[in-house]
Amino acid sequence: MKKNTARKLPIAATLRYTLLSFMAFMALAPVYVMVSGSFKTQKQFLDSPLSPPSGFNLGGYKSAWSDSFPTWLLNSFLIVTFSVILTLALASLAAWGFARFPFKGKESLLAIIVSLMVVPPVVLLIPLFKLGVTLSLISTLQIVVFIYMALMLPFSIYMLTNYFKSIPESIIESASIDGASTFQIFRIIVLPLSGAPIATLAVVNLLWAWNELLLALVFLQSNEKKTLMVGLTGFQSRYSLDIPTVMAGMSLATLPLVVAYLFGQRYFISGLTAGSTKGE
Amino acid sequence: MTSLLRPKLSGGNSNRRSALPSREALYWIAPACAVIIFIFGYSIVNLITQSLRYDGDWVGFENFSIVISDPLFLVALRHNLFLLSAVPILVLIAFILAITLFETRRGMRFYRSAVFLPYILPIPVVAVIFGQIYQLNGVLNTFLSSIGLDFLIQDWLGDPDIALGTMGSVIIWKEVGFGVILMLAHLISLPTETYEAAKLDGAGFWRTHFVITRPAIKTTLIFYAVIESITMVSWVFNYVYVMSNGLGGPGNATMVSELYIYRMAFQNNAPELAAAASVFLFAITLILLVAFFKIQRRSISKTFRS
Amino acid sequence: MKLNKSAIVYSAVIALLLTACSSSSEDSASDSFPTEDLTLNISWWGEQEAPGAQKWLEESIALYQEKHPNVTINHTLQTTDGLLPAFEAAAAAQAGPDIQYFWGAIYSQQPGWDGHIAPISDYLSKDELSNYINAEVESGFQGKIWTAPWYVNPSFPLLVRKDILAANGLAVPSTWDDLMKVCDVLSAKKITTLAGGVKDGWFGGWIYSVLGGQSLDSQADVIDAVVGNSKFTDPKHAKWWSKLEESRDRKCWNNDINSLELYQAQQRFVDGKAAMTFTAGPDAPNFVKKAGGDEKVTIIAMPAWTDGPLAGKMGTTSHTFGITKWSKYPQVAADFIKFTHTTERLNAWYATTGSMPADSRFDVSQVTSASTKALFESALDGAPYIESFIPAQLDADAIFKNVQLLLAGKVNATQAAADTQAIMERLRISDRKLVENFTAWSK
Repeated sequence: MKKNTARKLPIAATLRYTLLSFMAFMALAPVYVMVSGSFKTQKQFLDSPLSPPSGFNLGGYKSAWSDSFPTWLLNSFLIVTFSVILTLALASLAAWGFARFPFKGKESLLAIIVSLMVVPPVVLLIPLFKLGVTLSLISTLQIVVFIYMALMLPFSIYMLTNYFKSIPESIIESASIDGASTFQIFRIIVLPLSGAPIATLAVVNLLWAWNELLLALVFLQSNEKKTLMVGLTGFQSRYSLDIPTVMAGMSLATLPLVVAYLFGQRYFISGLTAGSTKGE
Repeated sequence: MTSLLRPKLSGGNSNRRSALPSREALYWIAPACAVIIFIFGYSIVNLITQSLRYDGDWVGFENFSIVISDPLFLVALRHNLFLLSAVPILVLIAFILAITLFETRRGMRFYRSAVFLPYILPIPVVAVIFGQIYQLNGVLNTFLSSIGLDFLIQDWLGDPDIALGTMGSVIIWKEVGFGVILMLAHLISLPTETYEAAKLDGAGFWRTHFVITRPAIKTTLIFYAVIESITMVSWVFNYVYVMSNGLGGPGNATMVSELYIYRMAFQNNAPELAAAASVFLFAITLILLVAFFKIQRRSISKTFRS
Repeated sequence: MKLNKSAIVYSAVIALLLTACSSSSEDSASDSFPTEDLTLNISWWGEQEAPGAQKWLEESIALYQEKHPNVTINHTLQTTDGLLPAFEAAAAAQAGPDIQYFWGAIYSQQPGWDGHIAPISDYLSKDELSNYINAEVESGFQGKIWTAPWYVNPSFPLLVRKDILAANGLAVPSTWDDLMKVCDVLSAKKITTLAGGVKDGWFGGWIYSVLGGQSLDSQADVIDAVVGNSKFTDPKHAKWWSKLEESRDRKCWNNDINSLELYQAQQRFVDGKAAMTFTAGPDAPNFVKKAGGDEKVTIIAMPAWTDGPLAGKMGTTSHTFGITKWSKYPQVAADFIKFTHTTERLNAWYATTGSMPADSRFDVSQVTSASTKALFESALDGAPYIESFIPAQLDADAIFKNVQLLLAGKVNATQAAADTQAIMERLRISDRKLVENFTAWSK
């Protein structure tokens, strides 16, 4: 892609880099405080929160990890994996239904689904909690997965429907002539073309589900079922006098996302790019 | 991504497809709709019945009148509104960063990743880190006094007058990266000729971007603004809960509607009042949504006329 | 995109069909001690204030299980901010712990009024319960006793560093005016007199108790104001706000009191950066130890600013265990609670946590430390802990809030009292059973 900075005035460039460096500093400084804090002792942190750690004090990590950390991590992992995969599966099926078939009330149905994006989850909290009680599903991962799916589906369906609509008719046409069924077209042609938007949705949904606190806080009451976010919230109050441990716990909780982002970055960005070009 | 905002305009080839059996659509749509209807449909109906009852008895609109006359609920809504007013700032910052990144070649990837990093951090993590940073004797004030800016020192989270603003700054800090990535993606996909012409005309950086780029990526700007508006009304619980120890303090400075509902239901043992407050909040988001569709339709038709 | 009417109706009908859900009920178990295998769950809090409590609880469970091999007991330690929400959620679910921990008085009463717990007096004899400290005054309700006191919280002792005072030529204050003078001297030298943290709210309630309790005759006064027979703006109930204001203006507190949590602030005292702080009674002996022992630290009650019958006295409240309504084995739960009140267990509690079990059969003579002994004795002759006699929502919404605002300099004493009264009046509207319950409690 060709860049369009014809006039490379040194002043303009300096200004740009100053702005970018400032923003990068703003973005990274708190992360630095977290990571460097995790290697300090309580006293070092309080005395000089900004200086680099004098050594690698792993005490914080040890006490963070020996708490229920591995259990929480596993719970978060299970919930995120199942809810994101199931959401993507159901959303792509539904989106294909919306994009491919005309039927009465289609636009209205889609409009209703989209409007659900704005429903605050807290609104669902009380009825769903009662439902969970009736079905004895409190403190189970299933109910959280199920609710997360419902909350992630509207956006996912909407985005994929628009993407599928943008796939040129000619491609689908030629497959139909070859006698492929609707499902075969979906599986062999549509899905492989949609890697980028699906990857984008996977990342967006993954971030959301991994970070969700409110529902997890209410539905996962027993310690063995808590997600990382719920665990960490209690963790903070339990170790309020032990900042390195808190920071170590926070660093550990962030690590999977950073890794996921580094691996998914290419798909994520190309997915967004593809979405915006093809959507026109 | 931009197509998200134009559902009606993209389904242009429905003539050909009308030959397909419409019943088959049901098989594709049903599973997702079942989940959605089960969760949302059940909740909303149940919520409404619960908001009309107290202790098992039908009480009409009593719960609603209690909630709407509660100063605390009104304060909470006002705080959501305040946070909502931060959305334009958020969009502006993201836009400026996006165009700056767009114009930058060397180090672009690094800066892009740096700016995006906050968006992937878990909110409790963000809230805890900033809780430390914003303490009166915390990282930020230590830093300010070390570079001689003592007059800027504040009790960022402890002073009721500025605590909500501080909270807003944390939300902006975290959310801005998402906007930058969205806009950058759209910018990269734009045809370069548009810019070349402007450059030849000798238009400056700001003029180029505010006159040409801004309308060109308008759909993305609106999309981002909508997503962030939803966040400010419906998704700030995490920040507030962790940063104010679940209290919405100091005083009521950071009480928001979600926290109000949560406390009513799970702290004050008044689920029926929480349900009534939820119905109000739901109605408000619906109004916002309708308003958005109105604005959006107007802006799209305008875009196409010009 | 427009919302089609028929589509809305369509989805509403489906949703309606879904709501037609059934509910189920359970029969209660028989009365004799069961012999089948069973599990009890305990949800509790306290390790935060009585370190060692977890060790003691696990020991007690192990010993009890040895005695009753068919019983398995699990326990979950809750966080401070999570204790109430977790129980509310369990109550809404009518499922969860068999034995639930509660703070004293209102925190033990409210679950009873809401029908979430079965009175302990249905399962333990009057004789047995008469030994449990504070059971009658805090957990009693119309002849019943809701919950069983577990350990005593002398509330709230003021820990004073004699070394810091002496170094500045000061003596341990015995009156309010003495205390204010200490503030003047120390603040001039940039030393914090009283370390506190109100960010998480709780400490605001403590301050209310140690200051606001002084001008009252008994807990009945507070209940009067709650039900509306008197007002929180009456001098009797409001004067303490001006004392708090005075302490703020005399710079008694650390300047970052609003951005610190309670426990973080107490750490200042341990680190020698503040002359005094309040701690939870059970934790006070530990703090004394951490800060250098009896030579350096002394424990006193908040100096009196008035001459009411409760002024200058330590408050006393008991943390309790209740049996939940949904427990299938309430009599086993009660038996376990009774087991924790055997002499061996009472002594073990003191040995493990250094704090006082809530049982008058506990032999105080085994306490060696002078400050601890004084603390225990003051708790036996303590004043009612008044924070626990107002609705929990008033505590959080009015007291926590106005203490934060007053200490931040945003309101004055008059405004704080007026706001408290206004919130109380609202509460009588929004909590439609409040007056009825509190009236019944006071009888």
